[in-house]
Amino acid sequence: MSVRHVLTTCPYCGTGCNFFLQVADGRLVGVVPCKTDEISLGRLCIKGFNAHSFVQHPDRLKHPMIRERGQLNQVGWQQALDRIVSEVGRIRDKYGPDSIAVLASAKCTNEENYLFQKLARAAIGTNNVDHCARLCHASTVAGLLYSFGSGAMTNTTPEFDNADCILVTGSNTLEAHPMIGARMLRALDKGAKIIVVDPRESPLSRLAHISLHQRSGTDIAWINGMIKVIIDEGLADEEFVKNRTSGFEALKDAVKEYTPESVEAITGIPKDKLKEAAIVYAKSSKSMAAYAMGITQHSNGTDIVKAVANLAMVTGHVGKESTGVNPLRGQCNVQGACDAGGLPGLYPGYQRVDDPKTKEKFERVWGTSLSEKPGLTLTRAIEEAQVGKVKALLVFGENPMVSDPDIGHVEEALKKLELLVVTDIFLTETAQMAHVVLPGACYAEKDGTFTSTDRAIRVLRKAVDPPGEARPDWAIACELGKRFGSKGFEFSSPSNVMDEMASVTPQYAGIDYARIDKQVLRWPCPSKDHQGTRILHKEKFAKGLGAFAPVGHTPPKEQPSEEYPFILTTGRNLFQFHTGTMTRRSPKLEREAPEPYVEINTHDAKRLGVADGQRVSVSSRRGSIKLMARVTDRIIQGSIFIPFHYAEAAANRLTNAALDPVSNIPELKVCAAKLEPA
Amino acid sequence: MREEHGNVAPALISKGEDPGEVRLDIPYQLITILETVYSWVPEGKVAVITRRCDEKALAELTKRGYVDEKRIVKIGLACTKEQIAACRCSDPVPSKVDIGEPNEPLATDDLSERLAAMSTDERLQFWTRQFRKCNKCFACTHNCPVCFCDDCVLEERTFVAEKGIPPGLSFHMIRSYHLIDKCIECGECERSCPGEIPLLTLRKMLAKDMKKVCGCVSGDAKTISPLNTTLEGDLLPEEKCDEC
Repeated sequence: MSVRHVLTTCPYCGTGCNFFLQVADGRLVGVVPCKTDEISLGRLCIKGFNAHSFVQHPDRLKHPMIRERGQLNQVGWQQALDRIVSEVGRIRDKYGPDSIAVLASAKCTNEENYLFQKLARAAIGTNNVDHCARLCHASTVAGLLYSFGSGAMTNTTPEFDNADCILVTGSNTLEAHPMIGARMLRALDKGAKIIVVDPRESPLSRLAHISLHQRSGTDIAWINGMIKVIIDEGLADEEFVKNRTSGFEALKDAVKEYTPESVEAITGIPKDKLKEAAIVYAKSSKSMAAYAMGITQHSNGTDIVKAVANLAMVTGHVGKESTGVNPLRGQCNVQGACDAGGLPGLYPGYQRVDDPKTKEKFERVWGTSLSEKPGLTLTRAIEEAQVGKVKALLVFGENPMVSDPDIGHVEEALKKLELLVVTDIFLTETAQMAHVVLPGACYAEKDGTFTSTDRAIRVLRKAVDPPGEARPDWAIACELGKRFGSKGFEFSSPSNVMDEMASVTPQYAGIDYARIDKQVLRWPCPSKDHQGTRILHKEKFAKGLGAFAPVGHTPPKEQPSEEYPFILTTGRNLFQFHTGTMTRRSPKLEREAPEPYVEINTHDAKRLGVADGQRVSVSSRRGSIKLMARVTDRIIQGSIFIPFHYAEAAANRLTNAALDPVSNIPELKVCAAKLEPA
Repeated sequence: MREEHGNVAPALISKGEDPGEVRLDIPYQLITILETVYSWVPEGKVAVITRRCDEKALAELTKRGYVDEKRIVKIGLACTKEQIAACRCSDPVPSKVDIGEPNEPLATDDLSERLAAMSTDERLQFWTRQFRKCNKCFACTHNCPVCFCDDCVLEERTFVAEKGIPPGLSFHMIRSYHLIDKCIECGECERSCPGEIPLLTLRKMLAKDMKKVCGCVSGDAKTISPLNTTLEGDLLPEEKCDEC
């Protein structure tokens, strides 16, 4: 008999809650919150409490598989790896290394992502490496790099407790980041003012002091409107603007036309309410802004992020305790996958691949020559596969067949590939299309680190063995690297990988396993005696002066039309997570939200003769799905909402792959759609 | 509990094993943990650190046959003044104190008294506002030592619709009444609630009513719950209870 409590990190959203996995004789029997954890405070959401239940599910992949005559057949590791190596070699020789792309994973550890990008860059010879951050916060990384010089949360999760005002936009925090939402509730109970701006009502907006509903895709208009109110009312922090920023005059010009009246016309937000919200945000001494996909997933996402940064800088609400611009990252390690260089234009630590000095540094450390050409983003790689330029895709723990926009198009593109390799823990919709499938170990079966949304390096500790022949992704990446004939994949443990990553990543230079075993460190942590950084941009911005960006409202790429009269927006619910691979195999979570649904406003439903619970068909220019209608006042008239978790009625059959030109993030939050009784 | 990785972790060790750096200041609900792992320890005795409330939880479990009293060795832990204050605890000293010094109980819970002084409407308003913070994490049931039904009514659609959050007043009312004859006021529900809903106060108010109306107090191995008797009157205790 053996019963152990293994401290590890939650595999769902990016909050980074720690908990204990209860292991009895090799079986995972439960989850116990960690009372002394500074992020979760011994509390968890329903997903956290059920994080053990998919791990030992019978559907887990246990053996490698190769497709023969249309069927995936079980094979040994040797055979599967041989096939990948020979096919990648053939394709590289025939079409060049840039015909191959690697998808890293926001579900894998920092160490694994470091190895994935090293595999692409050093072993295959291409910068074509990207991951699902492209679909969530690519615009944050680009936008905040421009405004501040660093694309991460400026402040930390515990600081929400002590804010006087929290402006939340495009984030259903209580459902998507429940433990950050809980912090906001703490602040609320202590007297903080909460402002929520969202086209939908949410559990948080119902408790907020000010709840504003903008039309989807009109964010720059209301943000610029607030900035204009703040300047006109004399509430700008002149001292801060003068000493810490540049470009204020251009911003002033840019917001001139955004009078409360014109903003009301564009956004639908009543002018007095907008003014009130602007004044509350500006006047509070500790105002925190938090946002998520509602801001980023637009074809002008980078500009919207810059607008949020403008708002924080005008009021001086940045660089201090309980203030700042706080993008809430949605995957357990999407922050870390970006930090570790799982991005086509950036090496680990956001160092540019097209900078010759940086390239030289990595060539020296990795002992090989590297390409200076920035690689393809995930969204562009799919386009290039469609036209036959990308021939091979190596996917680690991602499921683009449910998560990416316009799945019909993704499916066509994947079918054209000469080689699709998928490493995952279940046979996902994407894995079902693969030529070679490799069984990976999940979070509970390996050591490693995740970086939480507030830049804390969180530790994963192995609790149980992987099922069957499944192996951790870091071991698979090392094995592939070695077989591709590359040096520098001789790692014996994730700890060794972190040592190398820390040596080339300035923000992680002070990180090692001995330190993080006992201590929560947040990057930048530039040396072994550094205690990590809670608040960014304190004395000066990472780029020196904060840069105001004069941005203006542009309408979304697709507007409602006579044929497609609704704006369709997509998102999450509390009980399911992303493509449902894990949550839909967790009985207590699936019980709570078992079925795909579309939310439609009561008035719209009445007009169309649609009843609550009725089956309807929702279509866009790209596809059509059938699902159940939820008639509700939660959503404004003219808009409908579909959670994107359900493969059987995948919202992303409908969404638009129109891309933000700067960050290549697709416009997942707005497309034109119609709804009819099925 | 012991120090692990810079945190305090619950631990189960075998006889003779080094317990490591033991910590007794963090109130993990060890009886809940014991229930989860009990079936994995098929024979022999299990010693567990028990506060007074834990003793009471064990009493509720043993009288319903969930654990065998003969297999449990209790190591009595007296709560500190701070812990007593946090739980507004009126009964903090275990029957046998092995560790710590016994401290005085607290007679009152401020919030209970404030609520009792309110009008019914005000009280309803207070709880409605509190319950709107509920995010349906089930921490209150998950961490509760006396929540042991195999099928939980809160997970049944008939009683609680699956549609979204917050789950509504009935969720909390069902849970409260379901626990009315077993809640031992350990406060774990309140400590683990992300919305910081004062659930312990709710339990305390109900316990007070239960005592007044039925003369029933939870946590005593001998008392038969009035809810455990049939309507025909079998097993009804001497104090007649018309309410149950």
